[in-house]
Amino acid sequence: MTEQIDRASGKQQDGPPPSTTEATEATEATGADSARGRELLPTATAARTRAAVRALTRPHRGLAAGGFALMVAATAVGLLVQPLLGRMVDLVADRRPTGDLTLPFVLLVAVALVQGATTALGLSLVSRLGETVLAQLRERFVSKALRLPLEQVEKAGAGDLTARVTRDVSVVGEAVRNALPELARSLLAIALTMLAMAALDWRFFLAALIAVPVQATTARWYVRHAVPLYAQQRIATGAQQQQLLDTIAGARSVRAFRLEREHTERVTRRSSAAVELTMRGVRLVLDFYNRLHVAEYAGLAAVLVTGFLLVRGGSVSIGTATAAALYFHSLFAPVNSALVLLDDAQSATAALARLVGVADQPVDGPEDRPVDRHSDRPGDRPGGRLAGLAPDGASEAADGSPQQQASERASEQSPERAPNRVPRQSTSVGRDANAPRPPRAGTAGTVSVTGVHHAYEPGRPVLVDVDLTLRAGERVALVGPSGAGKTTLAKLIAGVHRPTSGSVVVTGGTGVPDGTSTDTTDATDTGPVHGSRSGHGNGHGPTVALVTQETHVFAGPLAQDLRLARDSATDDDLRTALTAVDALEWVEALPEALDTVVGEGGHRLTSAQVQQLALARLVLADPPVAVLDEATAEAGSTGARLLEQAADRAVDGRTALVVAHRLTQAATADRIVVMDGGRIVESGTHEELCAAAGPYASLWQAWSGTRTAAHQTPTHDHRPDTTTLKDV
Amino acid sequence: MSPSYPTGRDVLRKSVGGQRRDVALGSLLGSGHQMGEALVPVLIGVVIDRAVTRSDTGALLLWLGVLAVVYVALALSWRFGAWSGDRSAAMAEHELRVTLVRRVLHPCGGAEEGRLPGALANIATEDAKRVGAVNTALMYGISALVGILTCAVVLLRSSLTLGLVVLLGTPVLLWLGHLLSKPLETRSEAEQERAAHASAVAADLVAGLRILKGIGGERTAIDRYRTTSRESLRATLRAARAQAFQSGMVLSLTGCLIAVVALVGGRLAAEGAISLGQLVSAVGLALFLLGPLEVLAWANAELAQGRASANRIAEVLATGHTVTSGDRGLPQPVRGAVRLTGVSHGGLREVDLDIAPGELLGVVATDPAHATDLLRCLARGADPDTGTVTLDDVSLRDLDPAELRTAMLVADHDADLFEGTVLDNVTAAAPDSADPGPAMAAAGVTQVTLALRDGEHTAVSERGRSLSGGQRQRVALARALAADRPVLVVHDPTTAVDTVTEAGIAAGLREIRKGRTTVVVTTSPALLAVTDRVVLLDGGRITDTAPHADLMDRHATYRAAVLA
Repeated sequence: MTEQIDRASGKQQDGPPPSTTEATEATEATGADSARGRELLPTATAARTRAAVRALTRPHRGLAAGGFALMVAATAVGLLVQPLLGRMVDLVADRRPTGDLTLPFVLLVAVALVQGATTALGLSLVSRLGETVLAQLRERFVSKALRLPLEQVEKAGAGDLTARVTRDVSVVGEAVRNALPELARSLLAIALTMLAMAALDWRFFLAALIAVPVQATTARWYVRHAVPLYAQQRIATGAQQQQLLDTIAGARSVRAFRLEREHTERVTRRSSAAVELTMRGVRLVLDFYNRLHVAEYAGLAAVLVTGFLLVRGGSVSIGTATAAALYFHSLFAPVNSALVLLDDAQSATAALARLVGVADQPVDGPEDRPVDRHSDRPGDRPGGRLAGLAPDGASEAADGSPQQQASERASEQSPERAPNRVPRQSTSVGRDANAPRPPRAGTAGTVSVTGVHHAYEPGRPVLVDVDLTLRAGERVALVGPSGAGKTTLAKLIAGVHRPTSGSVVVTGGTGVPDGTSTDTTDATDTGPVHGSRSGHGNGHGPTVALVTQETHVFAGPLAQDLRLARDSATDDDLRTALTAVDALEWVEALPEALDTVVGEGGHRLTSAQVQQLALARLVLADPPVAVLDEATAEAGSTGARLLEQAADRAVDGRTALVVAHRLTQAATADRIVVMDGGRIVESGTHEELCAAAGPYASLWQAWSGTRTAAHQTPTHDHRPDTTTLKDV
Repeated sequence: MSPSYPTGRDVLRKSVGGQRRDVALGSLLGSGHQMGEALVPVLIGVVIDRAVTRSDTGALLLWLGVLAVVYVALALSWRFGAWSGDRSAAMAEHELRVTLVRRVLHPCGGAEEGRLPGALANIATEDAKRVGAVNTALMYGISALVGILTCAVVLLRSSLTLGLVVLLGTPVLLWLGHLLSKPLETRSEAEQERAAHASAVAADLVAGLRILKGIGGERTAIDRYRTTSRESLRATLRAARAQAFQSGMVLSLTGCLIAVVALVGGRLAAEGAISLGQLVSAVGLALFLLGPLEVLAWANAELAQGRASANRIAEVLATGHTVTSGDRGLPQPVRGAVRLTGVSHGGLREVDLDIAPGELLGVVATDPAHATDLLRCLARGADPDTGTVTLDDVSLRDLDPAELRTAMLVADHDADLFEGTVLDNVTAAAPDSADPGPAMAAAGVTQVTLALRDGEHTAVSERGRSLSGGQRQRVALARALAADRPVLVVHDPTTAVDTVTEAGIAAGLREIRKGRTTVVVTTSPALLAVTDRVVLLDGGRITDTAPHADLMDRHATYRAAVLA
C-alpha cells in the first residue's frame, strides 16, 4: 500500500498544486477495499474543491452577481405581501370604507407580478451559471479521466471511475439543477423574512429566534445521522442490484445447478437489507420533522404571544401582529426545505470532491512529459506514461518545446544504451534474420525490452529478467501456460504499466535501418520509453496500439466508433480497414451500413464482430507497433480461425507482438517466444522449436493431442509459407 | 406463487392489497395530519380574533393550548402515518422483487427469453419501486383529499362567497399554471433527455477506456465529448429557462389569488359578514390549499407511472414457460443411459444417439450452433421439435425439469460464477459432505488458487469477471464436477485454458467421471483424446462415430473441425 501511494504521489511530483492529503484520503477511502489492494482515485480536499469551484465560477462573476441580486430582489418584493395583508386587516379593523381596500389589492397584484418576473429571470441566471460551470467541470473531468494512466484506473477498480462519471456527475447535476436554486431561495427567504419581522418590531424577531436553537440542533443531528445512513443505503442498494444481475444473468446456471432456492434467498436477503435501511432512513426523516414541529409550535406561540402583548401595550396594530404571525407561518416551508436540502448539499459536495479529485490530476501538463533517463532506477520514475497520451502537437502547441526536449534527450540515450544490451535471446536473432519479410519503410517500429523485472505486489515477481527485441516488421508470437507473464509483458510494451526495473524502448518507424538494432535516428519518433504514445510513426495515431480480448463497442454510429482511431478517416478509409479484417460484408449488410447505431441501446453485434471492429480500429490507427493480447480468444472455437486471419492482416507490415492463445496462430509467426514462470525460456521459428524438443515442442504435442501420425498436418495448412500468407 | 397470467391491474391490486393494513392506517393518520395542518392557519385567525383583538389573556392561553394539542396530534399522525405508508411501499416493492426473481428462476424457464439481464434487473428494481410507490401515493392522495375537504368545510362555514372563491380559485390557478407551462414542460422534457445524453456518452467512453487507450483515441474521444457536452448544455439551458419561467408564473398566479382572497375577504369583513380572524384564516388557508392540491397532482402522476410499471412486471410474470413440467419420477438409482431418437431441433436433423451408462462420449459439431441446439435439448432449455430424448428410458418431457437436473447436469460453455469465494462456487451444487478436493484437482483449480491472493478463499465478483477467462472456466468446470451428477454434459470447458493445463484437465476429467455417463461437446483434440468414442455432428446429422484417433485418421471433415 505504502509503495503504491508513493508511486501515485510520484506521478504528481511536478504537477500543479499537489493535493497533500491525497495519500491519507486514499487510504481512508480504501478501507473497505483494502483487502483487494484497491487504491481509489484521489478525492479533493474541501479547500481544494472550493478553490476549483471558485476558479470555474470566476469567469462568470457578472452572471453570478446578477443572478444573486435578482433573487434577493424577488424575495424582498415577496415579503411585501404580509404587511399589505396586515394593512388590509387594519383598514377593516379601523372600519374604513371598503374602497380603501383597492390600493393594497392593486399593490398585492403588482407585488405578485414583479416577484414572478424577477424570480423567473433570477432563476434562469442562476441555472445558467450552475449549468455552465457544471458543463466545464464535467468536460474537464472526462478529459482528465480518459487520460488517466490505465495502471491507476486498474488499481482503483474500473467501478470507481465509472461511478464518478455516472453517479457523481448526476448527483452534482441534480444539485445544480434543483437543490442549489431551491436552497438559495429558501435561505434568502428565511434571512429576509427574519429581517422583515425585525422591521415590523424587533421583539417579533426575538420571538421568532426561539425556534432557531431547536432547528439548528435538529439540522446538525440530522446531517450527522443521515450521511452515514445514506452511504449504507447506497451500498445496500448497490449490493442488491449486483445480486439481481448475478442471479438473473446467471439464471441458466442457477437452474442447471439447482440453485434456485439459494438464489431466491440471496435476493430476498439483499432486498430485505435494503428495505430495512430504507425504513431506518424513513424513521430518521420522521424524527427530523417531529423535532421541527416542536420548533414550529414554539416559534408560532411565541410570535402570537408577542403580538398579543404588543397590541395590548398599544405599540403595534392588529394588522402588524397579523403580518408577523403570517410571516412566521410562511417560514415553515423554506425552513423545512432548506434543512432537507442540507443533506442533498452534503452528498453533492462529496460527489464534487470526487470529481475535482480527478479533474485536478495533472495528467496532460508539460511537466508530466517523461524524461526517462532514470528508468532503471526504481523509485525514481517520473510521471511517465501519462505523457504518452499527449496529443498531436497542434492542439497543445504550448507543450511543444518540453516535449521536444524530452524526445531529444531520449534519443540521445537510446543509441548508447540499446546496442550493447543486445537481448539475451539474441541467439535467435541470427536465425530469424532470414525469416521476416522486409519491413515496410515508414510503418514498422522496433521494440527493445532490456533486463525487465516486474511485480504488481512486492515479493510476487511476475516477470524476471526479460530481454526481448522486436525488429522492424517482425511478428513475434508469445506463448506459454497461463500465469507465465505474457499479458504483463504485452502491457509493459504497450505502455500500460512501467516495469519495476529495466527498460522498455519503443521506437516509431520511419527509416528503420536494418531491423536488428533499437537505434533510431529520428528524434521525434523516439518514443519516450514507457510512454510509448507520444511518438508518432505515421503522423497520426500512437506508436504502439494494444488490442485485448476486451469487447466494447462505443455507442453511436459504427463509423464514429471507427473514427475514434483516426478522426480524419474518410468513409473509403473505413471501408478499406473493414475489408482488411473481413468485416465489410456484414457491416454493409447492417440496416444502415456504416451509419448503423451500435453499442449500448443500438444494434447488437456478436463478440467476434466486436473484435473485428477492434482490429479495424487498429488498422485505422496504423501504429508502427501492434500488441495483440489474445485478441481472438473471445470467439468460439470456429470463429477463432477467421479472427486470426483478420488479426494477421491487421498487423501486416507492422512490428507485432501477438500473445497467442491457439498455437496455430503462433505457428505462423516469424518467431515464437515461449514464456514460463515470468521468464523467456525459448525463442525461434516453429520448425526450429519443434526440432529443439524443448517446452514449445511439448506444448505443440499437447495441443495437437494424439495426432502421432499426422504430426505435421496443420503446419501444411497454415504455416508453410508465411510470406505469401501475410503479403496477400 | 404467481397467478398464471396476471395483468398489470392484478399486479397493482395484489401490491396494494398485500399491504392494505399499512395503506389504510397510513391514509387515516395522514388525513389526520392534513386536517391538523389546515387547522393551524385557522387557529392563527382565531387567536388574532379572540385574544389579540380583545386583549383576552384567558382566550390566548386557551387557544394556544388548543394549538399545542393540534400540533401534538398532527405531529404524531404524521409520524405514524408516514411510517406506515412508506413501509407499505417498501414491503410491496420487496415482495414484487422476490416474486419476479422466483419467476425468472422457475425451472421451466421462459421469463428471460428475449430480455436482457440488465432490463430484467431494472424491472425488478425500478418498476418494482414504482409499483410500491403507488401505496405511498394512495396514502398521500387520500390525505390530501381530506385536507382539501377540511379547508372546504371551514371556509364554507365562515362564508359561502369566500369559501367558493378559495375552493374554485385554487384549482383554477393550478390548472392555469399547468396549462401555461404545458408546452414548456413537453419541450423541457425532450431537452432534458438530450441533456442526459452527455452523461451516457461519458459513461460509455469510460467503459471502453482500455480500448480507447489501446488505439490512442483519447484525443478524438475528448473532442467528441466536448461537442456533446456543449450541445447538451445548450439544451439544458433552454430547459432551465423554461423551468424558471414556469416557477415565476406560478408565483405570480399564487400572489394574484391571495390578493383576490384578501380583497373579497376584506370586503366581507368590512361589511361584518365575517370576523377579522376569519379573514386571516381564509388567506392562510388559500396558501395552505396549494399544498394538498399539488400532492393530488403528484399522486396522480405516480399512479400513472405505477400502472405502466405494473404492466411491465405483469408481462414478465405472464411469460409462458419454454418447457412443460411432467409428473413422472426417475427410477433410482439413476443409471445414466441417455438416448436421442429422431431428434430434430434448430439445426439438428433426425439425430439418433445412444449413450451407454458410464460412457465418456465426445461430440464434435462442425457448426457451433448445432452443438448449442443439442445442449438445449439435453438441458431442457427447449424440447425438440420432433423426436424424443430419454434418460433411463423416461422421456424428458415427462419429467419435472428440476428433477431432471438433479440427475443430469448440462454445464454451459459460458457458465456464470456467482458471488462468494472460489470454494463457495465450486461447492455450490455439491452434496453437503463431499470433499471438493478431487474436483478442484481434476479441473486444474488447484493451480488457479495458488496464483490467487487468498487461495481458494479469494472472493469472486462480477459473475467471475474478477478472474481471468481461463481461471473462470476451470472454477466452473470444478463446480460441475463437484456437483457429482449421474450424467454430466460439458460444453467447451477449456477454450481459455492453455494447452498443458488442458491436457491435465482431460486426464482429470476422465479419472473423476469414471463409471458415470459424461458427454464432452468440444473440438479440443486434448479432450477428445481421452473419450471412449466421438460422434461427429456434421450438417445437423451424425455422420460418423469412432474413437478420436480413428476419426483423425480417416475423416477429413473431422480433422478440419478439430485442428482448425
